[in-house]
Amino acid sequence: MIIEEGVLKDGTKYILVEKSTLIEELNNLKNQGYDYLILMSAVDYKKYREVVYHLGSYNDNRKIVLKVRTEDDILQSSTPLWGAANWFEREIYDLMGIKFEGHPNLKRIFLPEGWHGHPLRKDYDMSKKQYVNMKEDGTDLVSFNPEDGW
Amino acid sequence: MRDTILFTTIEEVLNWGRSNSVWPFTFGLACCAIEMMAAQGSHYDIARFGSEIFRASPRQADLMIVAGTVTKKMAPRVRRLYEQMASPRYVIAYGSCATSGGPYRFGYSVVEGVDKIIPVDVYVPGCPPTPEALIYAINKLQEKIRKGETEK
Amino acid sequence: MEEKILEVNFGPQHPSTHGVLRLKVKLNGETVLSAEPIIGYLHRNAEKLSEFNYYASNLIFMDRLDYVGNHNMELGYVLAVEKLAGIDVPERAIWLRMLFAELNRIASHLVWAGTMGLDLGMITPFFYAFRERERILQLFEMVSGARLTYNYISIGGVYNDLPNEFDEKFKEFVNDFPARLNELKSLFEKNEIFIQRMKGIGILPPEVAKSYSITGPVLRASGVNYDIRKISPYLYYDKVDFEIPISHGMDNYARFEVRFKEMEQSLKIAKQVYEKLPPGEYQNSLYKKSGLINIKGAGESYVRTESPRGEFGVYVVGDGSKKPYRVRIRSPAFHNLSAVNEMVKGLKIADLIATLSTLDPVFGEVDR
Repeated sequence: MIIEEGVLKDGTKYILVEKSTLIEELNNLKNQGYDYLILMSAVDYKKYREVVYHLGSYNDNRKIVLKVRTEDDILQSSTPLWGAANWFEREIYDLMGIKFEGHPNLKRIFLPEGWHGHPLRKDYDMSKKQYVNMKEDGTDLVSFNPEDGW
Repeated sequence: MRDTILFTTIEEVLNWGRSNSVWPFTFGLACCAIEMMAAQGSHYDIARFGSEIFRASPRQADLMIVAGTVTKKMAPRVRRLYEQMASPRYVIAYGSCATSGGPYRFGYSVVEGVDKIIPVDVYVPGCPPTPEALIYAINKLQEKIRKGETEK
Repeated sequence: MEEKILEVNFGPQHPSTHGVLRLKVKLNGETVLSAEPIIGYLHRNAEKLSEFNYYASNLIFMDRLDYVGNHNMELGYVLAVEKLAGIDVPERAIWLRMLFAELNRIASHLVWAGTMGLDLGMITPFFYAFRERERILQLFEMVSGARLTYNYISIGGVYNDLPNEFDEKFKEFVNDFPARLNELKSLFEKNEIFIQRMKGIGILPPEVAKSYSITGPVLRASGVNYDIRKISPYLYYDKVDFEIPISHGMDNYARFEVRFKEMEQSLKIAKQVYEKLPPGEYQNSLYKKSGLINIKGAGESYVRTESPRGEFGVYVVGDGSKKPYRVRIRSPAFHNLSAVNEMVKGLKIADLIATLSTLDPVFGEVDR
């Protein structure tokens, strides 16, 4: 279900879809020939989070942008459609905190395992520093205490 | 006994020998690693100062050149590698990220300088410092070794 | 004898990785069963820090992303901001940007050639490649003052014009380079051991590559004709004459051939651009030096460019103020690396290292 359509500042067409029909719309676009997932990003507009999909084609220079908004931070995963969505969704979970249902392996990718919070949100407190150390078996230990690590 | 004339002369000879063949340890993390590789090339040759080969294992190297930003995820590994090196060992902090955090200082996952983790002998500022700066740093380190003032 | 699966850790510090990569490898004897990459040891939070700076100050973070192909990184960000804020660029600046982007592509592929030799145990190509790269870096130092992080392409044009000494040195470089490139290539091509170690190893079929969003020389070595400079040209790439090298081999040897042919094509583009340089302004005069603070933008924009590793672009969201609201970087090496597990099943450990070196990851860009 398309809620809104328009054109962005650089000339690309965009559509805003409802959260419950996300996978259906992506499948439609893939069947029309958009087989290249260029970029998947998440932006935090304080009342809601918006996930933006840039889609293109390997045969010509078509491009389209698909947006979806979420307030409770849970979306459907698009890993069955594109293999690249695997690492994209892990990165968005790590830095923005949006969970994707149906992802085979949703773990943090850039920050160590026990990190508290999601840094790219606008309400993340940069003044509280966290410190990292390594346990004997190679896994990471994160805490707020400066004596515990670096 | 340590300060008699016999032992100080042997210490001086040993320090002269150590200073003329300092073998570095490849620890390039980020952009400064490319300038370190350019210093090994044929234009700025640091093999003429004794650093003939860059060894990959910490047990076979004397000098650890930390080139690049040290992040919090990498910090415990840096400490472990430093402890695996055999004494006498020396450290050069190359570049402004290793000296004090660099342009990324105010981030959430960057350690502000490698001297919060290991003791450092020579600091080289720059972003990135040219290979000539690395050669100057190795010369200063060699003077420090001959005088016996390094941090063991 | 029962089979035992041994799990080995290729730690973040290893003589054969191009930076800080950790691989968890499962082995049966010497055969690799799976290799899972773990990244994040160089996560320098460039995206979060860009939200606290003015538009023009963020160039320092973009420079240090892919630290061997810097001009292309600056270009991707600057083109997006210029579309967002509606800034015009004079003619001479556009041609100068093209010249330096292509010279930087040659410099980046030379670093790849040198370090690929080191990974396989050949030390001589390292010295030959870095000697050629020094000549290109001397050209860059004449114009921008730095050898590695130039900060040269800025919003509204370029930072400086060409000095008088540039002409002689550039023509000397262009005359000598083809013969030296052939010499470097013959060190690899005529070596029987190199050919046996690279042919038939690390096969990447085109359907798998397209599903993992892989672009750049890795995709062109699998037979897909896709280059952003021809498909949706930016700057003046539609006014110069060049070809896109493709190979259908899908293996490490095909990737090696494609990159060497790209170096020849880049030299051809650089020669044509230098002949067509018009006289004129090199920067939009509203945005020289202190005028850069006044850039404001509202809306969203993304421009695609072709960096030495694949498609690069920056998605910039502005809310009308002097600082960006969100800066999102699309890095090609991140995707090239995610397909490692598909390419190395059934190979030996030494082949794993050779395959990783032909993918050419640069960790400033993967971890941002």
